[in-house]
Amino acid sequence: MLNAIGFCNPVGFATLVQRELVRTYKVINQVIWPPIITTILYVLVFGLGLGSRVQNVQGVPYAAFLIPGLIMLQVIDQTYGESSSSLFQGRFMYSIQELLVAPLSAIEIVTGYIVASILRALVIALLIMGVGFVMVHTLPQNWVMFFGMIVLVSTLFGAIGIIFGLLAEKFDHIAVFTTFVITPLVFVGGVFTSAQFLPPLVRRVSLFNPMFYMIDAFRYAFTGRSDVAVGISLGIVVALTTLALAIALRMTASGYKLRL
Amino acid sequence: MNGIPNPALRIDRLTKRYGDFTAVDGISLEVARGDFFGFLGPNGAGKTTSINAIVGLATITSGTIEIFGNDSELAWREARRLVGLSPQEYNFDRYLSIRDVLIYQAGYYGLRGAAVRKRADDLLERFGLSSKASDTFVRLSGGMKRRLSLARALIHEPQLLILDEPTAGVDVELRIELWDLLRDLNAAGTTIILTTHYLEEAESLCKNIAIIEGGKLVAMESTAKLLARRGTTTLSITVERPLSMLPPALAARGATYDAGARVVRLLDVPPDAIAATLGELTACGAAIENVEFSRSSLQDVFLELVKR
Repeated sequence: MLNAIGFCNPVGFATLVQRELVRTYKVINQVIWPPIITTILYVLVFGLGLGSRVQNVQGVPYAAFLIPGLIMLQVIDQTYGESSSSLFQGRFMYSIQELLVAPLSAIEIVTGYIVASILRALVIALLIMGVGFVMVHTLPQNWVMFFGMIVLVSTLFGAIGIIFGLLAEKFDHIAVFTTFVITPLVFVGGVFTSAQFLPPLVRRVSLFNPMFYMIDAFRYAFTGRSDVAVGISLGIVVALTTLALAIALRMTASGYKLRL
Repeated sequence: MNGIPNPALRIDRLTKRYGDFTAVDGISLEVARGDFFGFLGPNGAGKTTSINAIVGLATITSGTIEIFGNDSELAWREARRLVGLSPQEYNFDRYLSIRDVLIYQAGYYGLRGAAVRKRADDLLERFGLSSKASDTFVRLSGGMKRRLSLARALIHEPQLLILDEPTAGVDVELRIELWDLLRDLNAAGTTIILTTHYLEEAESLCKNIAIIEGGKLVAMESTAKLLARRGTTTLSITVERPLSMLPPALAARGATYDAGARVVRLLDVPPDAIAATLGELTACGAAIENVEFSRSSLQDVFLELVKR
């Protein structure tokens, strides 16, 4: 049998990614179809229904404005969900031990979960993009920005998912971050409105909301316009991603709640 | 290395603490290549903690572990590659079929391709699991889960196989079948470390045995020497009426008298001296009710060593 382990274990890493994709496929009715259905409903009700009475936002019809925000919303939700629940389940059912006894480094394990999160995010993002194209005839104009932001944001929330997957003592704890942090911050972070429409005070507060920068920069890939300079948004997202990755790596390498 | 091959496992002053509790307290031991090594001890003695430290499932507080000369922390990739673990608790991936459990586990060890798939099929065949290959592990019976655990531990052809209670909850027939499998593996050169609660299992399989109690080693010897510790044979003579005293000649040879049971016990009496021993008793007027000649078991030694 070919044994490719020396300095690193690429086969082990690829196996973990593959395993995570199998898991995504097995729970497809929980993780792929709901975001698509939800998006179609948002576009129908808010975008095409209510939105027809709203003037153009950032130079595009409201429904087209909505699409990038909805993609970000689902990418954030699903990448956090992928790594946090997979890791927690693995701990809860001990199957994570299959990885821990193998010659896999913390970097390989963390990267494995994150690459799987990115791939799940790309599938969802492309499906929603398809929905956007069919329903409101909008497509990204800047593909580098489109893919770049998906990769960055998936990495950030994949890493946060690892952190919470390790911290959680029960499944309920995983939901705490989604319910009390992700959902509120995303909803007030500009999925549905441009910052220009917000009262000055709220606009100033939203500058402290990291989701605002992610959505704003991602929307730039579609509309070519943004509320904040794209460079600033990118800088903030890169900084947060680096920080989350460092924490996730540190926790995994030290064996926190993994190696007893 | 001076031309002497490293032992399969060398543990030097291994300590593992959880807060104030010391689970493993400075144990040192060596397991030679090709050994069949029993690691015994009562519940909570530190067996599983030691095993977890060897395979990387637990961090080490202090001390070192070497697997075929590879330090488990410095040369961890090589060390882990050489070890296969069949753990006490089932920890299978529930999203995969049992065939994929083997194939993916090989993948984590850096192995892939047609050879791995063939080895997985061969192991399923050998362990009587072929008909269940596409089921997930929750559909297996208890015995099948044990066999799958062993098959998974072997998928990457480890040189050191560690089995934590491999026959717990397994019926007698399967246990004997597993014993045969383990003997074959050992004969083919795989070093095996086994923890078990079934002392007759350790007695029957293991060449060497370590006994751990309260995180410390209390014995580490060849199975034969360990059995000989307590005397290999016991002659028990039950007398009809209580003795007022042991005949001095017997007392001088270390005989003991259990007045309650009216039993005189002597260790290591050569078979040709049994008649003479009985004669000495009857010469003192004792009438013999029953005579028992038994080999001492690992259980006797074990109970004596781990008396709390």
